[in-house]
Amino acid sequence: MSAGTRLQTAWADLTRAEQGVTGFIVGFAALLLFGLLSGGLAPTYFLYLVGIAGMYALLSFGLNSQWGFTGLINFSVAAFFGIGAYGAALTTADSSPLAGGFNPLVGLLVALVLAAVLALLIGIPTLRLRADYLAIASLGLAEVVRTIVKNESQWTNGTAGVRGIPSFFEGWPVLATFPEAMPGLEIFVPFGARIVLGTSFWSALLNVSLVLIFVGVSYALLRRVHRSPWGRVLRTIRSDEDLARALGKHTYSFKMQSFVLGSLIMALAGVFYAHLNLFVSPGDLDPITTFYVWVAVILGGSGSNRGALFGGFVIVAIREGTRFLNEFAWIPFDVAPLRLLMIGVLIVLVMRFRPQGVLPPQRELIWPSAVDEAPSRPDSGVREAKAGGGDE
Amino acid sequence: MSDVEEAVDQDVANDQTVPRDQDVPHDTSKEDVVLRVDDLQKAFGGLVATDHATFEVERGTITGLIGPNGAGKSTIFNLISGFYEPDGGRVEVNGVDVTGMEPYEVADHGLIRTFQTPRKLEGMTVREAMLVGPQNQPGESFVNVLTSPGSVGEAEKRNLAEAERILEEFEIDHLATQPATDISGGQMKLVELARAMLAEPEILLLDEPVAGVNPTLRNELADQIRRLNEEGTTCLLIEHDMDFVMELADPVVVLDQGSVLMEGPPQRVQSDDRVIEAYLGGGT
Repeated sequence: MSAGTRLQTAWADLTRAEQGVTGFIVGFAALLLFGLLSGGLAPTYFLYLVGIAGMYALLSFGLNSQWGFTGLINFSVAAFFGIGAYGAALTTADSSPLAGGFNPLVGLLVALVLAAVLALLIGIPTLRLRADYLAIASLGLAEVVRTIVKNESQWTNGTAGVRGIPSFFEGWPVLATFPEAMPGLEIFVPFGARIVLGTSFWSALLNVSLVLIFVGVSYALLRRVHRSPWGRVLRTIRSDEDLARALGKHTYSFKMQSFVLGSLIMALAGVFYAHLNLFVSPGDLDPITTFYVWVAVILGGSGSNRGALFGGFVIVAIREGTRFLNEFAWIPFDVAPLRLLMIGVLIVLVMRFRPQGVLPPQRELIWPSAVDEAPSRPDSGVREAKAGGGDE
Repeated sequence: MSDVEEAVDQDVANDQTVPRDQDVPHDTSKEDVVLRVDDLQKAFGGLVATDHATFEVERGTITGLIGPNGAGKSTIFNLISGFYEPDGGRVEVNGVDVTGMEPYEVADHGLIRTFQTPRKLEGMTVREAMLVGPQNQPGESFVNVLTSPGSVGEAEKRNLAEAERILEEFEIDHLATQPATDISGGQMKLVELARAMLAEPEILLLDEPVAGVNPTLRNELADQIRRLNEEGTTCLLIEHDMDFVMELADPVVVLDQGSVLMEGPPQRVQSDDRVIEAYLGGGT
């Protein structure tokens, strides 16, 4: 009873957008559960999809901390993702043309350092200039990185890609052998299919836990810095850089910090991808990834971390979910090839009807402990307008 | 105030035995100079915007900077505050040479400026936008935010209390939790002024503080600027509203075609033939 009322109060406390998103998530989870139980969706593949969704969430976090926080237009998401993936792959894989075979943690470190260096290299000449120049330069950077990876095969194996990447937990005490050590499970669902959980399931489960840790840590970090005075300077720069400069903020330094931070998170997504897919190739650096991530951030609401999280999941749901639509025989045409179109239509609809995104950032972001104990806490105004810029 | 001014003028007359309306505008009688602009030059291509401008702002004054359209007032502001790099000359704030420094470095030396058109901070509330003002906040360091949240929180609490106190002084505390983009233009000017005060400037550069502001708010702004000045803030202001300048500023520096035409108390500026000619004559 009391739990029920508490749930009701919590529900009433949400904005309409939050209620909608919650409903959507519950509905979608129910659909997935149905898919799993009926055997339409294999558990291992499902976990792979969760991993991909987590990866997109990371990429969206990265872009959000550049574009959403500071207004930096970065069109080389795929390049930083690729640097992360190739950094990890070339350090850890057996077939690496460079020194391979290191522990994945070393690979993680190498990937992050490479991404930071690349971010500095592109940031130093462009971040002093107006926002457009970074956009142009990053567009070029993405292609440069992709072409180098594709053609310098003595370092990267070229178009053949890098094979034999170990799982992230290779060489760890217990976790390295966890998937093999776990017994195979068989689950019988009444009226449903027989579900077999074998070694691949357990290793997929490990991967999902890994990405959940990455996503959780990044989210907690971004949430904190977004509400801090540091984040406030970034938001000031986004609105009006001259104002920030006039108020004594070293905007170049702040922009650089924000750019490097975002790039590191994107590289983290790449590292995870390398150990999820166990194979990387130049195709992973295609610019389409960049645009998917942009759509995710704009859809979720620029500047909002949970929006980026939501946007990342929605993109994967559309990208991968459309594969399943083909199984419905009553749809008279092939749906899967339409997914790019669907993403395009989605972004047009969002821009037309909800330009601030589905879950725009909260209206006021002040360090929490300061507001709670401030002498005159406002009792009105903040909650209602939380949904965004204006009232519909 | 006028007594002091007369005394100073007397001194000048005695010491240097020069006529009051000397052609050299450089007034050496100022003892405690906060801002010294010396022979400042700036050209945009063939257009000379600032032509060997020289003047000083004495501590504790409200100095007005006037001149016809295109006289180069805003350019001088941008040169002083570091937004433009001068072609030649010097700018000193508190005796420190800040020529060619970045705006944030100039601000570090105690010079804060406002803008002609109010700058909007999207997605922020008024008090949040106010919190951008304080200088050297510990929470502006990424590392501090992660390692010492306690001190960040304390500083934030202090700054928030200070912001709310200043909003109260400006009689706009009822706007504290309004979106910073939803208030009127005049209120934005007030917020901008209030925010500049959070930076605790030695000298405040106000670029047309009452442009496009209704008469009631205009008087309000005049009162506030006067109050800030009485509390010790030195102001240098550009304004086209002559009544506003004349009632508030002393001395007034007149700029024409990029150089200083004259400087003096408002009554003398108003009756000066050269000033009248510069405003009405339209050029050479």
